[in-house]
Amino acid sequence: MTTTTSAPRTRRGRRARLPYVLLIPAVAVLAVGMGYPVYWQITTSLHTYGLAQQFGQPAPFVGLANYTRILGDERLWAVVVRSVLFCLVNAFLTVGIGVGVALLMRAVNRIVRVVLQVSMLLAWAMPMVAAVTVWKWLFDWRTGVVNWLLVQLGATSYDQHNWFAQPLSFFFVASVIIVWMSVPFVALSVFAALTQVPDEVVEAARIDGAGPVATFRWITVPMIRPVLAIVLLLQIIWDLRVFAQIRLLQDSGAPVSETNLLGNFIFELGIGRQDFASAAAVSILVLALTVLVSWPYVRSLLKEDRS
Amino acid sequence: MRIVRSAALAIAGVMALAACSSGSTTPAASSGSDAPGTSAAPEAADITLWVAGGDTPQELRDYLITTFAEQNPGSTLTIEQQDWGDLVTKLTTALPDPANTPDVVEVGNTQSPTFTTIGAFADITDMYDELGGSKLLQSFVDVGKVDGKNYALPYYFGSRYMFYRKDIWDAAGLSVPTTLSDFAADVKQLRTDTMSGFAMGGQDWRDGISWVFANGGELATQDGGTWTSTLSDPKTITGLQQWQSIYQTASNVPATERDVAYWDFLNDGTDGAAPEAATIMAPGWARWSIGDLTKNDAGDEVRDGMADTSKFGVFPLPGVDGGVAPVFAGGSNIAISATSQHQQLARNLLKIIFSPEYQTMLGKHGLGPANSDYVSSLGDDVFAKTMIETAAASKLTPAAPGWAAVEAAFVYEDLFQKIAEGGDVTALAKQYDEKITPMLNGQG
Repeated sequence: MTTTTSAPRTRRGRRARLPYVLLIPAVAVLAVGMGYPVYWQITTSLHTYGLAQQFGQPAPFVGLANYTRILGDERLWAVVVRSVLFCLVNAFLTVGIGVGVALLMRAVNRIVRVVLQVSMLLAWAMPMVAAVTVWKWLFDWRTGVVNWLLVQLGATSYDQHNWFAQPLSFFFVASVIIVWMSVPFVALSVFAALTQVPDEVVEAARIDGAGPVATFRWITVPMIRPVLAIVLLLQIIWDLRVFAQIRLLQDSGAPVSETNLLGNFIFELGIGRQDFASAAAVSILVLALTVLVSWPYVRSLLKEDRS
Repeated sequence: MRIVRSAALAIAGVMALAACSSGSTTPAASSGSDAPGTSAAPEAADITLWVAGGDTPQELRDYLITTFAEQNPGSTLTIEQQDWGDLVTKLTTALPDPANTPDVVEVGNTQSPTFTTIGAFADITDMYDELGGSKLLQSFVDVGKVDGKNYALPYYFGSRYMFYRKDIWDAAGLSVPTTLSDFAADVKQLRTDTMSGFAMGGQDWRDGISWVFANGGELATQDGGTWTSTLSDPKTITGLQQWQSIYQTASNVPATERDVAYWDFLNDGTDGAAPEAATIMAPGWARWSIGDLTKNDAGDEVRDGMADTSKFGVFPLPGVDGGVAPVFAGGSNIAISATSQHQQLARNLLKIIFSPEYQTMLGKHGLGPANSDYVSSLGDDVFAKTMIETAAASKLTPAAPGWAAVEAAFVYEDLFQKIAEGGDVTALAKQYDEKITPMLNGQG
């Protein structure tokens, strides 16, 4: 008895150390690649740091003054509310449409499925600037295909309609672009998860009299929940960090201050106004916000992992 | 374990590289011995000139490199081209670092105050007269000046003027307007539902401020080192109201548009369709995007540069009581980095740039020479004449330390859009004065 139990124990002991050793390179890369910028970010946010400091003048320590000023700025709160709403709407839309496409892929025959998969991969692989440019052209007020189509369909008020003039329709176009670019990832991930749902279980449910909706709600969703959760979490994090798409769309003429999201706000503060300290402070707030928004999901993921 | 080892090696490699690069800065930093004012021949070195965008033609770059090498035996000049888009960012990171700073830099004229007010450029007041003095384009000199000292001088200028469809104006029985109000009436008359009399987006404040300047208004004034936004000044209000009226009665372009490729609007559409505008305002180089289609030597389809003078033409924006309205001039300034380790060589390069030969070369390539003695090199066709005439009357945006912040936050874009949408000019002016004044002084 003693020999049989001690052997695995030592083996387990050796195993227990190995994972940590294997973690070292990843942690080291993270510490160097992320740790230093975050450290610098936090330090900067606690000092007065603008263009003058960049050119060698002393940067006095101001404690949390940058944070209190930023938090007291109504512009920040407008941007935060806008960003969180935009992020949640887009994340849920993306996951919803992605799941729909994944179900569709499972239902159609092989050739159609391959066509679907290839076109989605192409959409996903398209460089972002190129994609946004094409969408901008599609929605162009003068020569855009969208306006032309709407006019052909009888909606003559869309002749020369400017989609970027109002924040709401601006964000509608932005959402179309972002959802279009992120659906393939969700659809393909969920499709992969769907192939793991055993046919016997689905069949058993059907024999028990469950319709397609009930099967999906009570069999499929619980079984692919881990994938759904992580995909939704990633979408939320990604959509909160949206920057370039909005910036590129703003360049085609939009009410800039009313369409800024957090990323654009930081860019304006840091790169535009060279107020590096405030930009750093807002960045830290975004980090906190990301943790706050995604924390419930991370916790449930951890819980599921444990069970 | 192999992964661990290779990762460790990789990290060690990165650290070694980092060590190398930080080690190499020391000799470079200590090698600079030619402080400003040193009269002895400077130590031979390679200096770097940053040009912005592709505006400086290759022929001029070659001339600078060759001439610099001839006049400074043993030294060489390297020219690096930076994109306009991230020029300010690049300058912000490179200028403070003696080991990496370019020695001489081109910077957009309105970007100059951002750097001059912070001490990023070397004081070249003592060279001012030698380089041209009062002959240099004064609006550009002023924007590069702080407390009476010159830090940045004009490199070249462009100007903006009106491009119009002469055939359409003629058909309507209209001739070139001589006052600003005539212009407003003419382009209003020319507007149809499918054609702008004068195509201009609502956010195009760089065009719009001409109406402010024409009425004697200012965007901001300086008093004892403090800047005040003066949108509420009666003259500025008059200008803004005139612009509002002309936008609303003559332009079909949406209020949120800016920097549209207006030159396309003047060209005939596909299959000879009518143009989308009878008049536009644009920088001089827009000429080469306007005209009838033709083939160039390479066989590509290009515009003929307004060859048909019965169809296309240009005129300066007229002033309120005739003459020429002050427009916002495009162009660049040039300056020496304060941290440059080769101040004397950098100054020698400036001498070449401001030499009669180089100034003439600028003009021959269509770039407005900084020194007014050489503007005749631009030629004597209608484009050159209009360019010289409008540039002489041109104005620049305020040389305030926070000007870059105002531009970065798109404040004037927002203001002009709201005016274009029919907002109450007086109320908007008051609201934006309160917003802009602290920004101009670098306070949020």
